[in-house]
Amino acid sequence: MWSRAKGRNHADLQPYCSGTRFSLVTGTKDKWFYALLAATAAIFAYLIGYIFLVTPLAQLQAGGLAQKIFYFHVPAAYAMYLCGAVCCIASALYLYSPTDARDAAARAGADCAVVFGAMVLGSGPLWAKKAWGVYWTWDPRLTTTLLSVLVFVSVVMLRAFAGNGEAERKFASALGVLGTVTLPIIHYAVLMWGGNHPTVITKTGGGLRHPAMTHALLVGFVAMTLLAGLLMWCRTRLTLSLSRVARLEEQAIATGQIDY
Amino acid sequence: MTQAQPEPATSATLSDPSSRSTEFVAVQGGGETTSAASLLIGAYLLMWGLLFVFVFLSWRRQARVETRISELEKAIAAGGGDGHARQ
Repeated sequence: MWSRAKGRNHADLQPYCSGTRFSLVTGTKDKWFYALLAATAAIFAYLIGYIFLVTPLAQLQAGGLAQKIFYFHVPAAYAMYLCGAVCCIASALYLYSPTDARDAAARAGADCAVVFGAMVLGSGPLWAKKAWGVYWTWDPRLTTTLLSVLVFVSVVMLRAFAGNGEAERKFASALGVLGTVTLPIIHYAVLMWGGNHPTVITKTGGGLRHPAMTHALLVGFVAMTLLAGLLMWCRTRLTLSLSRVARLEEQAIATGQIDY
Repeated sequence: MTQAQPEPATSATLSDPSSRSTEFVAVQGGGETTSAASLLIGAYLLMWGLLFVFVFLSWRRQARVETRISELEKAIAAGGGDGHARQ
């Protein structure tokens, strides 16, 4: 089913492109996609309701009402880790044995890691303004998060502007693997170097002193996992269809069917 | 409702790992006057806005790619002549 980059044939991608319309989802996987979409929408609706109706306010030092950003901010950071891991694994597999599907998954992982990273870096400063009094401080975790997002941005930019050849794909894959190395550094940055960023999720309970807070956070993790899966699914399809366009154009040029 | 007890605001010592935050403390010098509600609304709008823009751009690009695939398939099926797809 997954086509190899070498010996490409557009027919390899036919299972994803049945009919004259190549939709976001195709074939028998449609029902799974829509089931996932419905589950994600339902869990987000539940999460938002739970956060604002059930979860208590945090103490003022945590930002009071602004602390409710936490229930999306932290799961978004986790989703960034998840997408980064997908990018890393798919990139490593692509370097080992290139296929369009592996390249598409790596690219989708990087794309989604940038989106979730932007959500983290966008929401964090607004919460920090209330909790710390400043939008940004060069805290180890904040700095390493910014650097990691910039690495994934570079992967996305490379793929967007440097062409779609084998060399560019492999270079982007290598960058994707190396970029993911920064993720554990982010995670352990607070443990290694201290800083202002809190460690509210700890084995001893940390800063989540109310069961409803813990529940909301766990639901947030599930919701963001589903959302990350949906987004990566869509972006993988998009990249596969771009590969199919490239194959069809090669075929059409070779047979003189299109003019440039 | 059980809440974490507020602690006096102190600045964390960046160089000492043992002093890492386990609660939220104010950074010295920060003059916070913005309302929590506006920051909360801003953060949610930003996060959801980013998500919707990403989904919209993906959807629009997918639609363009579908159109291109359709054009190419028609051109190839036509076998030349009046079935040309222009770049």
